Amino acid sequence: MLDPRWRKVLRDLWLHKSRTVLVVLAIAAGIAGAGAVLNTWALVRRVTREQFLVSHPASATLRTDSIDAALIARVRSLPDVREAEARRTVFASARTPGGWSRAVLYALADFSTNRIGVIKPETGAWPPEDGALVIERSSLAFSGASVGEPLSLVMGNGEPLAVAVTGIARDVGLAPGWMEHVVYGFVTPGTLARLGAPGTMDELQVLVGDGSLDREAIRRIAYEVKAVIEGTGRRVTNVEVPEPGRHIHAAQMDSLLYTQGAFGLLALFLSGFLVVNLISAMLAGQVKEIGIMKAIGASPGQLAGMYLGLALVLGLLASALALPVAGYAGREYAELKAELLNFDLTGTAIPFWVIALQCAVGALMPVAAAALPVARGCRITVSEALRDLGLTRGGVASGGVLTRATGVARPLLLSLRNAFRRRQRMALTLLALATGGGVYLGALNLRASIRGAVDLLYQPMRFQLVLRFTRPWPADSIEAALRAIPGVSGAEAWSSAAAAVAYEDGTLGDGFSITAPPAASGLLAYEATSGRWLEPGDTTALVISRALLRDEPGLAVGQEVTLAIAGRPTRWTIVGVVSAGPGTSAFAPRETVAGLTGDSRVASAVVATEIAGPASRLEWVGHVRGELEARGLTVQSTQLLSEGRRVMEDHLLMVADFLGVMAWLMIVVGGLGLASTMSLSVLERTREIGVLRAIGARHRSILTMVQVEGLVIAILSWAVAIPLSVPMSVLLGQAFGRIMLPVPLRFAPEMTGVLLWLALVVGVSVVACAWPAFRATRITTAAALAYE
Amino acid sequence: MSQPNQAQPVIALRDVTKTYPSPAGAFTALADINLTIDRGEFVVVVGQSGSGKSTLLNLLAGIDRPTTGEVIVGGTAVHALSERAKSQWRGRAVGIVFQFFQLLPTLTAAENVMLPMDFCGTWPGRERKGRALALLERLGVADQADKLPATLSGGQQQRVAVARALANAPAVLLADEPTGNLDSRTSDAMMDVLAGLVREGQTLVMVTHEHAVMRHASRTVTLVDGRIHA
Repeated sequence: MLDPRWRKVLRDLWLHKSRTVLVVLAIAAGIAGAGAVLNTWALVRRVTREQFLVSHPASATLRTDSIDAALIARVRSLPDVREAEARRTVFASARTPGGWSRAVLYALADFSTNRIGVIKPETGAWPPEDGALVIERSSLAFSGASVGEPLSLVMGNGEPLAVAVTGIARDVGLAPGWMEHVVYGFVTPGTLARLGAPGTMDELQVLVGDGSLDREAIRRIAYEVKAVIEGTGRRVTNVEVPEPGRHIHAAQMDSLLYTQGAFGLLALFLSGFLVVNLISAMLAGQVKEIGIMKAIGASPGQLAGMYLGLALVLGLLASALALPVAGYAGREYAELKAELLNFDLTGTAIPFWVIALQCAVGALMPVAAAALPVARGCRITVSEALRDLGLTRGGVASGGVLTRATGVARPLLLSLRNAFRRRQRMALTLLALATGGGVYLGALNLRASIRGAVDLLYQPMRFQLVLRFTRPWPADSIEAALRAIPGVSGAEAWSSAAAAVAYEDGTLGDGFSITAPPAASGLLAYEATSGRWLEPGDTTALVISRALLRDEPGLAVGQEVTLAIAGRPTRWTIVGVVSAGPGTSAFAPRETVAGLTGDSRVASAVVATEIAGPASRLEWVGHVRGELEARGLTVQSTQLLSEGRRVMEDHLLMVADFLGVMAWLMIVVGGLGLASTMSLSVLERTREIGVLRAIGARHRSILTMVQVEGLVIAILSWAVAIPLSVPMSVLLGQAFGRIMLPVPLRFAPEMTGVLLWLALVVGVSVVACAWPAFRATRITTAAALAYE
Repeated sequence: MSQPNQAQPVIALRDVTKTYPSPAGAFTALADINLTIDRGEFVVVVGQSGSGKSTLLNLLAGIDRPTTGEVIVGGTAVHALSERAKSQWRGRAVGIVFQFFQLLPTLTAAENVMLPMDFCGTWPGRERKGRALALLERLGVADQADKLPATLSGGQQQRVAVARALANAPAVLLADEPTGNLDSRTSDAMMDVLAGLVREGQTLVMVTHEHAVMRHASRTVTLVDGRIHA
């Protein structure tokens, strides 16, 4: 049986049930928001560990000439190497519902002994047989393929080959095919040969023995392997050492979840304001009761225990509500994240400690929030408490603006003054709502920043179409053919190459791509952030991206650098740095790059056109393709720049929207706060409302009075949110920079955003005040005047 | 449940003065009060409004602290206790009956009576309900035990308040105008109840301005301008 004091606690909560519900909902929203992100993080982390690490991702990958069993055996015999496997990666095209798309095929000599980056068969046959393809699960929907049906593949200028799709497998080391617009598949060397690719293996994947080694230690082992390969007379064209044990997108995902988690915690913190308001109001209304309890023997500690116990009950109720919601939302969100990372969440449970942590935070946060008002309230002496005048406390400072205001209708003046009667409560309510508004405006700013960043990224590109040919052609022939096609206002054939910085000690940096337009390109002209862009007459000039400079901080404008291209060292002079997106890249004259790759032919081109409108452009692209193929220049793929831009913008805005969700969560918490505050306000002024009714106030006047009071707080929140959006914009912009790419920060919110926020906050206020206002109209004069 | 020495007075005030600061300067509510009350006495404190009656009661209950002088109740130097210690002492040593009953509105009559036992831990948990019902029975309101105060009449509420004041078997019962908010019939009945308690050995100090209750008292102390009038 509960002691009477705890029964009092529960009954007090019941007495304030509408406010209790609002506060519980607000805390629950905070816990659910932060908890969902925590659940997602824990699930994704667990699935990453369980599936990614279990797949034994390669510690290092070395690209070389053909690899045989003897070389693999020699590498395996190195003391630090646990496992070595050979494979070949081939770039081809696959016939998808949208036309020919890029396909990346992986071939192993024997899939049944696959121990590095283990591919997990899901359905159908495994391993693939000669003439068959096992498709990577994430490419399935995009490719339009199905098990048992053939898929057309083509390589270079070879003939298309119909390959039977015999199974589905998952490679957790790959980014999802549907996201990359790539068909990933697994084939035998025999199938590669049928497609016209060499059947030998040229990539050596190595797994080191010590799983605790860092990237530098693994790099040293990789170079020991490189020395062994080169000792056999082979060339090593590239050495890739990824961050050990980290999925390629893990850092981005962590940053996103940490940022969302931080905003979730902020929402929880804001819900703490509501607890302060509720407990403070309860204590203010129970000063006499506190005095009586002290008079009959209650110690301050016992009283504090009662009110903190009340806060604990609020927390427990909120946790009971929030945990299932957080669990469901976290699992749904984690499934989305897992899909983005190409993992499968099936059968993965939320760790117990994560649930326990949510319970603890949910239960104890209200206790912590209530601690100060409770300590203050319970320190009151019996004599002070018994002399308390109760509900008449709290007023507007005499001589203040509101007491001197003239020319304002009296009911409006009453609402304005009422809003300022409980200043601490109003300040906390206002701050909760304004913080949500600040994040909302910050998220809108971030969207505008992202669009601005994408604009900047695409501004230097003065073409509309990118073409890839099935095989290289002389640049002049491509350009001449393109310029002869109606609608083409400019065309350039471009080269490209894979490169890595070659250090003096013989090691190579991480690989990056070189885009090679003509030195005098009229269709690509970046504005250099330092140094200059390519100029006519440049031969060994190299312009590097900021992303490459971040990865290779030793590089500088004016410096000479050696790059390994196609396994050969080449000398370049860095002439400039440009902002060219999140990927590491560089730019060099086509004339030089094309010569380095064996012959001076190139396999891609960019085309400018004056033709506008999506339908006309699509028709024109088909025409270009047809004209080129009529001249024998078979096109492997075409991509409109606008399409690429849209895909990129959608991807980036999706991340911004994930962050924007937290703004909505905070606005919900703020709205519940306003509802709770107005409810307390109506309760405390029961007697006043009775007096107003006694002197003739109608339902409508009472309703308006409460709504206007709420609107005063809402409008102030609107105003406070505007300056608050500046730090929020910076925080969100910086977070986005860590997650995706740096964006130009916008500090001032856009006018449309400010007006949207005004409409939103007014709507929130009207909804939040509806119930308290209705309750106020239900108060009868007799009941109100009898109220103590 | 303080048990003072039978030979010692249960209440002793020595040279007690209480002044309050006010915008107009210090206001002396009580001056040089010397008073002893023996166990089992029923002392009525009378005086006009502002004479210091309630201040005296507040000092005895440890609600206020004397500016100078000593307040000894049930052998405890109340004036020297900290706020925290006073709460526990008050719960065990004195029972207070207020003019406006001051029952906690969200607790039933029985729960209101159990609350002091709960705070002070004076009775084992399982015995508290029985004791509360016994006290309510003694006060004639056992049938109201499970009702909330708002549903009781003024007289019934005051009887519950007396039962609550007796919950921890205090050495002294302090009553601040306990009949001030009751009609004359209920007031008489309440006085009979209190007189009955005194007959059973309970020490009672009552502040009142109703001369009719004095006939029940064993002694009357009259305060005039904060001083005991001989």
